[in-house]
Amino acid sequence: MAPVMPWIFAVTVLLLIAGRFLLSPHLTAPALQTWATIFVAICVQALPFLVLGVTLSAAITAFVPPSFWTRALPRRPYVAVPVAGVAGAVLPGCECASVPVASGLMARGVTPAAALAFLLASPAINPVVIVATVVAFPGQPMMAVARFVASLAVSVLVGWFWLRFGRDDWLRITRRETASGSKWAAFYEAMRHDLLHAGGFLVIGGITAATLNVVVPRTWLTSVAGVPVLSVVVLALLAVLLSICSEADAFVVASLTAFSPTAKLAFLVMGPMVDLKLIALQIGTFGRAFAARFVPLTFTLAIVVSLAIGQVLL
Amino acid sequence: MSQSLVLVLLGGAVLRITVLSTTYVNYVKPAYRPILIAAGLIVLVLGIIGLAQEWRKPLLTAEPTNPLDADHAGLHPTGHDHAGFEHTEVAHTQAAHTQIAHTQVGDPRVGDRALSQAAAADHAGPETDAVNEHGHSHTRVPRVAWLLCLPVFAIFLIAPPALGAFAARSEEPPPRPPAPIDAYHPLSAPVNEMTLGEFVGRAWEDSKRTLTGKTVRLVGFVVPSTKRKDRWYVARMQISCCAADAVALKVAILGAAQPPENQWVEVTGTWVPPQSTKIPNGTVAPEVTATQVTLIPQPSEPYE
Repeated sequence: MAPVMPWIFAVTVLLLIAGRFLLSPHLTAPALQTWATIFVAICVQALPFLVLGVTLSAAITAFVPPSFWTRALPRRPYVAVPVAGVAGAVLPGCECASVPVASGLMARGVTPAAALAFLLASPAINPVVIVATVVAFPGQPMMAVARFVASLAVSVLVGWFWLRFGRDDWLRITRRETASGSKWAAFYEAMRHDLLHAGGFLVIGGITAATLNVVVPRTWLTSVAGVPVLSVVVLALLAVLLSICSEADAFVVASLTAFSPTAKLAFLVMGPMVDLKLIALQIGTFGRAFAARFVPLTFTLAIVVSLAIGQVLL
Repeated sequence: MSQSLVLVLLGGAVLRITVLSTTYVNYVKPAYRPILIAAGLIVLVLGIIGLAQEWRKPLLTAEPTNPLDADHAGLHPTGHDHAGFEHTEVAHTQAAHTQIAHTQVGDPRVGDRALSQAAAADHAGPETDAVNEHGHSHTRVPRVAWLLCLPVFAIFLIAPPALGAFAARSEEPPPRPPAPIDAYHPLSAPVNEMTLGEFVGRAWEDSKRTLTGKTVRLVGFVVPSTKRKDRWYVARMQISCCAADAVALKVAILGAAQPPENQWVEVTGTWVPPQSTKIPNGTVAPEVTATQVTLIPQPSEPYE
């Protein structure tokens, strides 16, 4: 095996270089190129956050003893859920980073419901995203406030729901071997595994999102903009389909001027919690049985809470 | 081992578009460069460490590298073309069943396409399979990791360009820019260069109508109008994070022959205030009567 690998590597690189000259001039259909640009953009844009996420997750696995979490989080799970949700504010990144971190937390014995609250809250309420929201909605500071409140509320509610009705066998938690070798070796192995694993699912999400981005025309949206509840659901669905990074979604939805503030809020709440890229990541990380329950629950609660908070604050 | 190769390729591709060229501006904001380089380096180093480890102890720590390959053999018994490996294939298939038994087989959709090339790479020999069968390690990497080859192949083979006329083709109007109303300074220069975003903002949001009678110069690419013959659009995509969130800013150009689609141009002209006040701002693109249209190469930053 070993003596062959460098040759394979060299051949792959050569093929890529040759393909650059032989194949590229023929792959020029505008639809294909647009699709490829968006696909590569989603992957490239998400990669730094994914790397950040898996690094933190691996560090949690390798260097933070499990006892730390039992001390850091309140013992009663119903209290631990909101605490973990608020703690999400400290991870400055988008949703790609939070999935591996939540998985790492669960692997270290954190109550799944609390880790899930963290998973949902973190990409929506961290300072970077809130600042981006304020910038995208000049003169409407309540939009950022409503986003913070609604996202946190949905995270905590989902966490409590999971605590009350969830079953352990729905959730696949990666228990890692800790004993073998040094901590650095454990760190390396965890990071490498998570990166390859989550990265692969990120690519699936990127493919789906890029395809819908190119295929679905956005013009049909404006026709439903005036209908009260339907417009909220439609923008929430759009957030799921587009899979835009939570640091950028505020700028996109701000441009959809025909929609009501509540509908825009639903977009901002939904995007970081449920989107195609995330669903792929969650299926990969926690298993299908989990995603089949978690995603509809989060989707429903996000719409209900957005409607309620929109009524009160916007 | 071959998954280390995937990491090396991925890290290499990211560094290729950030360090060795500026292609990355076709995909993300220029400000992303430092964190992209950092991420690319980390991924590359992870891959190289992996390769080095496995290089030193090829047999002891060899991972069961090829569950996918095994799957290949199991699911598509007629589908492969490496005739020289027939006896190895048998060994593979047997090993495959053992492996599938204790692999949490992920998603059956994934893998095949990306892999045909790299999968061929895994054909090592019966002795490696024997190791796989017995010494399965706990660091088994899922087949889905192979999909990470797809963006690498897309970057190298399709070499996706910046979004152009295809992405901006629909006749929907550009979005309102999020600049505050009346934040625009008065225009004094004989020819005022401005971004399309600023122009659209002035045309729609500016109650003082600072654009009236002023000559402006706009830069963008050409998008033909599908509905009306008397105009074409000069357009530019505006991104806030990556190309997935791009929105098209468009200004209709009147009184000039249309250059080829997707050609970058510099248009000098004056704003045509809307004829009717009944159409609310933001429903049709603002119009410019062109006095001069110059063909230019694509700017180094294709997005606004």
